[in-house]
Amino acid sequence: MKRLVSTLALTASLAAFSATGALAADGPTSDDLLKSATNTEAVLTYGMGPQAQRFSPLTDLNADSVKKLVPVWSFSFGGEKQRGQEAQPIVYDGTIYVTGSYSRLYAVDARTGHKKWEYNHRLPDGIMPCCDVVNRGAAIYKDKIYFSTLDARLVALNRETGKVVWNKKLAEYKEGYSNTAAPLIVDGKIITGNSGGEFGVIGMVEARDAETGELVWQRPTIEGNMGTLNGKDSTVTGKTNASWPGDMYKTGGGATWLGGTYDPETKTLFFGTGNPAPWNSHLRPGDNLYTSSTLAINPDNGEIKWHYQTTPHDGWDFDGVNEFVSFDLKKDGKVIKAGGKADRNGFFYVIDRNNGKLINASPFVTKITWAKGIDIETGRPIYNDDNRPGAPATGEAHDAKGKSVFSAPAFLGAKNWMPMAYNPQTELFYVPANEWGMDIWNEPITYKKGAAYLGAGFTIKPLYDDYIGALRAVDPKTGKIVWEYKNPAPLWGGVLTTAGNLVFTGTPEGYLKAFDAKSGQEVWKFQTGSGVVGSPVTWKMDGEQYVAVVSGWGGAVPLWGGDVAKLVKDINQGGSLWVFKLPKA
Amino acid sequence: MPDLTRRRLLAGLAAATAIPLATGARPASARPLDEVMERGRLRVAVYRDFRPFSFRQDGALVGIDVDLAGAIAEKLGVKLDCYEQLAGETVSDDLRVAVWRGSLFGGELADIMMHVPYDKRFGMMNPEAVLFAPYHHEVFALARDPSRVRSAILATLPDEPIAVEIDSVPDFFLLGMQGGRLRSRIIHCPTPEAAIDKLTAGEAAAVLAPLSQIQAALGPRVAEFPITTLALPGMMTSDWNIGMATKENARDLTYAVGDAVAALTEDGTMAAIFARYGATHTPPPLVE
Repeated sequence: MKRLVSTLALTASLAAFSATGALAADGPTSDDLLKSATNTEAVLTYGMGPQAQRFSPLTDLNADSVKKLVPVWSFSFGGEKQRGQEAQPIVYDGTIYVTGSYSRLYAVDARTGHKKWEYNHRLPDGIMPCCDVVNRGAAIYKDKIYFSTLDARLVALNRETGKVVWNKKLAEYKEGYSNTAAPLIVDGKIITGNSGGEFGVIGMVEARDAETGELVWQRPTIEGNMGTLNGKDSTVTGKTNASWPGDMYKTGGGATWLGGTYDPETKTLFFGTGNPAPWNSHLRPGDNLYTSSTLAINPDNGEIKWHYQTTPHDGWDFDGVNEFVSFDLKKDGKVIKAGGKADRNGFFYVIDRNNGKLINASPFVTKITWAKGIDIETGRPIYNDDNRPGAPATGEAHDAKGKSVFSAPAFLGAKNWMPMAYNPQTELFYVPANEWGMDIWNEPITYKKGAAYLGAGFTIKPLYDDYIGALRAVDPKTGKIVWEYKNPAPLWGGVLTTAGNLVFTGTPEGYLKAFDAKSGQEVWKFQTGSGVVGSPVTWKMDGEQYVAVVSGWGGAVPLWGGDVAKLVKDINQGGSLWVFKLPKA
Repeated sequence: MPDLTRRRLLAGLAAATAIPLATGARPASARPLDEVMERGRLRVAVYRDFRPFSFRQDGALVGIDVDLAGAIAEKLGVKLDCYEQLAGETVSDDLRVAVWRGSLFGGELADIMMHVPYDKRFGMMNPEAVLFAPYHHEVFALARDPSRVRSAILATLPDEPIAVEIDSVPDFFLLGMQGGRLRSRIIHCPTPEAAIDKLTAGEAAAVLAPLSQIQAALGPRVAEFPITTLALPGMMTSDWNIGMATKENARDLTYAVGDAVAALTEDGTMAAIFARYGATHTPPPLVE
């Protein structure tokens, strides 16, 4: 028996050697990361490729064979610290690196589920992350593995030992900053966004030397603020006071809390920006650039190449952080270097990624009240003016509530953080959407830090009795919905698609599900024991195709969802990594 | 009888609506009076970086709320265990973290949280907490450089820079006032003290902020920069009462603490504590 075990171990290590090459010990290079979308033996980047298409060329698993997909092992994150698990695993050299809630990172043997090491970030007392204690994933480069923490730090660990190599402050947690996004590594620089409280914050994109953690450049996302390069002032973002009155640009919002994507073909970073502050749009006339936008940024120096603002003068807390996914748009016999973005505001945008020009915009949810459509020529929304929440009721009664409007989508978005996928074979995007609206008004009976305050009152409401979540296949050429899968609870997890004509996503009800990518027919499901709000991945190891996903219910819905939160109150919490494979015949 | 009267005045607001949550797990139990006495320790939440109520001075946690909590603990005959909490987006978030659900990061619930607005409607929006023992009446006020702003009348404020705490009622009021006439002249500061610094440095001609924070930050320089309390017309609450909060199941604690606060108000301790930090104590009106 002992002999058998050692033989197996030897086979396994040989397989690992051949799969990742002689340089496995040195870790993935910049070039490996840039080519990670086609590397089926590993999952090296968040988004399964820098463009974040979340597409795997693997075909072993397909709409027929997927019924033989079985769990291999499950790994518990342990402790009492459960809550939302929103991570995407990284897989390299026979090891899975996965982050858990409460700023934890695990290295797990991909074959056995045996824990190699665990890093438990020591969080200071009194931190107040706005939403949940989630983390969305790690980044790997050379001998290190990186992730960001709830106290707004960036930590680099030796990937073999889990020992800290460096630990840098990204922002001051005492001012309400936090960080939950997966870092992005391009040409030796580790690039991060920021997330923070709703006030006094401006969005920032920062590049650091991945070896040392030293800052290389910073790009504020709000017009009028100065960027830096190599420790010196570089250029001002936009034009000061062009779209902001007074000094409001200094605190205008636009946090880049979801991180970014990278397109190696045009050598461009794409970062989405959050909503402007303060929330009531009447107090800040102008477009409020570059909030609720996508910014195209030069990775060498942090200069903005172009911007596209999805919600100018955002008054609904829509935010514009959603990922911009580069893809080749084949239309009228031409191939356009485009990008797709399913915005929180309910429109699916197809944009020329060379110059930011809008190609197409179409709804991917059934109800949008704030705009009639997007003008393709100007790229601007055609607002429904009477759907904008009212100005604070100056001159009205003492406790005037102001105009209450019903607005769809709700501020949690037609699509929130959860990443979509693009399949170059079906030429479809797979978008995890939610159908909900909100009543929103000026709430006079609020207090902040012990003082009277004027907040936004809101109540989120489902639009339909039988479902909120909808996984939709969107044709970027026409904007048409090709198929949809309706889910009772809101969808909150990422999507994966494969050349095997499959689409995977998780549900709060606990399932990891697979669908036929062309027809939308559900072809497989597995109950993981808690809600799935992470992003699944797939790779090939020892000649077999694997799938992994984290399970653990949480995120913003149970905290902010109003009526919707009641629908999901019976879902049990969890915290585990599930690994499946298609066994050899 | 005086005790009963005090209790009626000072006991909780949320009683009528204190309905236990029908959903989910029950939050960890608060420690009502018996337990506080048995442990000999009163755990009190105060805001972090909140002059003059709770702040760090040479490393020590001091301020009006801290001293008041100390005096209450002394009256109860227990030790004070005071800790700072970062302010959330609204006080409802702070109540959830401090007194009823607790932090997602673990740690003990507070027995009481200081500086919670005492407002019936606000209490009804937070049935998991009890608001009690109002100890101060707060109001917005204007401090001005009289050579640049001749009178404290909002409608006729001259075209001069005015400093406010960012994301506060004075901020929103001035951004919206008269179609935004002064919108581009507002200087946004992280705190009222920072706004006062702009005033005394001559960068701002006036500051609009809560009175006690202006008083404490100006100190003796009030002679140069007169202060006037103001209603912000129409828009929203301009004055409010400050009290404390605990969990809805800890009502006996509210009676004991309420009695202590009444006694401290009557014997002048309260006014002395406010005066220690340069602010004037204004008792809340006794009629709801």
